[in-house]
Amino acid sequence: MLRIENTLFTIVLITYFLSMAFYFLYVVGKKKIYSRLGLGLQILGLVLHTAAIICRGIGAGRLPLTNQYEFASAFAWGLCLISLIFILIYRFYTLGAFASPVFLVMTGYAALLDNQVRELMPALRSGWLGIHVSTAIISYGAFGLAFVLGIVFLLRDKLKARGFLDRHLPDKEKLDMLGYRSVALGVLFLTITIITGAIWAEQAWGRYWSWDPKETWSLITWIIYAIYLHLRIRRGYHGKAAAIFAIIGFGCVLFTYVGVNTLIPGLHSYG
Amino acid sequence: MRFAMILLGILVVACTAGSLIPQGQTYAWYAEKYSERTAALIVATHLDDAFHSWWFILINAFLCINLIACNLVRLPSLIRRTKNYAKPDENPVVSAPYHEDINTAFTKMKMSGVKEMEKNGHRVLFSFKHRIGLWGAWVCHLGVLLLIVGYSLGQMTYKEYAVYGVPGDTLAVPGTSLAVTIDDFRIELREDDTVEQYTADITAFDLSKSSEGKSATISVNHPADLLGYRFYQNSTGWAANITILKNGEYFQSKVVCAGDYLPVQDKPELVIYFNAFYPDYQFIEGYGPSTRSGKVLNPAYLYSVYYMGQMLGMNVLSSEDVLTIDEYTVYFSEPQSYTLIQIKKDSFTWLAFVGALVIIAGLFLAFYIQPQKLWAVEEEDGSWTVKASCKKGDMLFRRQFETEIEGKNKDASY
Repeated sequence: MLRIENTLFTIVLITYFLSMAFYFLYVVGKKKIYSRLGLGLQILGLVLHTAAIICRGIGAGRLPLTNQYEFASAFAWGLCLISLIFILIYRFYTLGAFASPVFLVMTGYAALLDNQVRELMPALRSGWLGIHVSTAIISYGAFGLAFVLGIVFLLRDKLKARGFLDRHLPDKEKLDMLGYRSVALGVLFLTITIITGAIWAEQAWGRYWSWDPKETWSLITWIIYAIYLHLRIRRGYHGKAAAIFAIIGFGCVLFTYVGVNTLIPGLHSYG
Repeated sequence: MRFAMILLGILVVACTAGSLIPQGQTYAWYAEKYSERTAALIVATHLDDAFHSWWFILINAFLCINLIACNLVRLPSLIRRTKNYAKPDENPVVSAPYHEDINTAFTKMKMSGVKEMEKNGHRVLFSFKHRIGLWGAWVCHLGVLLLIVGYSLGQMTYKEYAVYGVPGDTLAVPGTSLAVTIDDFRIELREDDTVEQYTADITAFDLSKSSEGKSATISVNHPADLLGYRFYQNSTGWAANITILKNGEYFQSKVVCAGDYLPVQDKPELVIYFNAFYPDYQFIEGYGPSTRSGKVLNPAYLYSVYYMGQMLGMNVLSSEDVLTIDEYTVYFSEPQSYTLIQIKKDSFTWLAFVGALVIIAGLFLAFYIQPQKLWAVEEEDGSWTVKASCKKGDMLFRRQFETEIEGKNKDASY
């Protein structure tokens, strides 16, 4: 099973790369067929990625969501899924050209990590693992998409009314609204992640909140996005300011994910 | 709101500092890691225990006051807005003439419960839905308030104890009327020697009552509630039997956990300290004693001897070795695992979790329950104009209006 997972993972990388290439062609060539091919390959990549994760789960005999490799892979999967949902709901195919490099890079990052299967320590053997980590994946994926939309917004803002991108991107108001929707999804799921983590910590460690660095940085991320949501209420914090905030917020997400695990020792150091 | 944003900003800075500066260390530790001046600053500003410092509590107190004030101030207008939502707006977000059967406009927009009314001399058909979504932010703020209050009350009243021992031990829980008997303790290993689970069978007694004890099995992730307390299988370590002979005759023995000590009964100023246990002992030059594996293949015990508080010496004993101090002969045997059981009582955990659930409900209402209203105004010539408002200006709602009412292209994409 793990061999199949390795093979599938390689195919996923190639599929995501081809999806990105067709999305780029769509942006450049303005032909509908390219956007459909990019979308089709993204769906195919997502299906294969799902299969790879399932194979790893069967091979490992547990949920494959416990170490850096597994979470990086699932993070890329989450971003791919959320961007796909946004592309389909809002019929925003150009988004694929901006989102696909991010989930491709994240998948590539996962490929560089040690993918050896290790048994779980007793504290991780809990039914809460699945819901806690899977909601984190959706949340991180949504924040990743908000980051992408923030970049698209700034690009559109810079390009003004010049050239083909202008004709293929939604107007700034819609980009801003999409970024907000993405942050909203991320905040809802980050809240569920933090709460399920607290319930689990209460069972495993006897304290639902112990100011562990991972907990603290999750809270910092939550507060940053809470500030973003509040500032949107006031005029002047839409648009460019919101886009910059979404980009900064994702930096915080990345630090919570990678930085805390590697730089600050704590109860989550295995993750 | 500006004050709330400032508070949240300060909270971010405080949390960042608390996570980057190692917490709970001594002045000397900070001085060695940073500098004397930085250590003094850290200790003086309570950054060594940031999350329990007076200023951190003050930030949260201000945040609570702000949340209460915000929710109280907004409550009357929110009730008014909720009541008024059942009326057409003066300024609709979208508006378009409609030339089909007017009832189909409501069906297409998935609006039900259409009411007929009159406004400015015109016949109006009106429908609305999801006005509860107006309460999202308010409910979310209430949840945050409940969570902070629940956590703070928990911090003030929280009680936590720990006892450790080996199977057969009955241990009094200091500071309570509880005692715990460790009936059994098992470490389940996998084929590769990694630990699958730590499990303890325990019986808890309330010594102030003559009732029978309550038994339970606890393991990591599976605590048990007994006699109003929650019992956790927290951690484990090694213990061994220390036997002391006096002039060659049996004198005393006791199971002692690594990290604990045994005073000699008739000479309490002489203490045997059990530092560490190595189940599969090896000595590596330049590194010191260590263990090859977790299996008890070549047991060895690191000990130190103290007399009147002064360390006399430190060494490693194997199971065959003995230590002789004057007329006393000491040896270690029967290595076994001990269990550390954590006992806690937090009467306000439920309140914090209720707050957490209320936050989720509030966020869901705020983001995904979008108040919408649709109304049709009959013009003087008998034609209809359809108007709509979506409180949160949702893009999908507008697009739905454009395609269903205005008849624009459904497949428009970017």
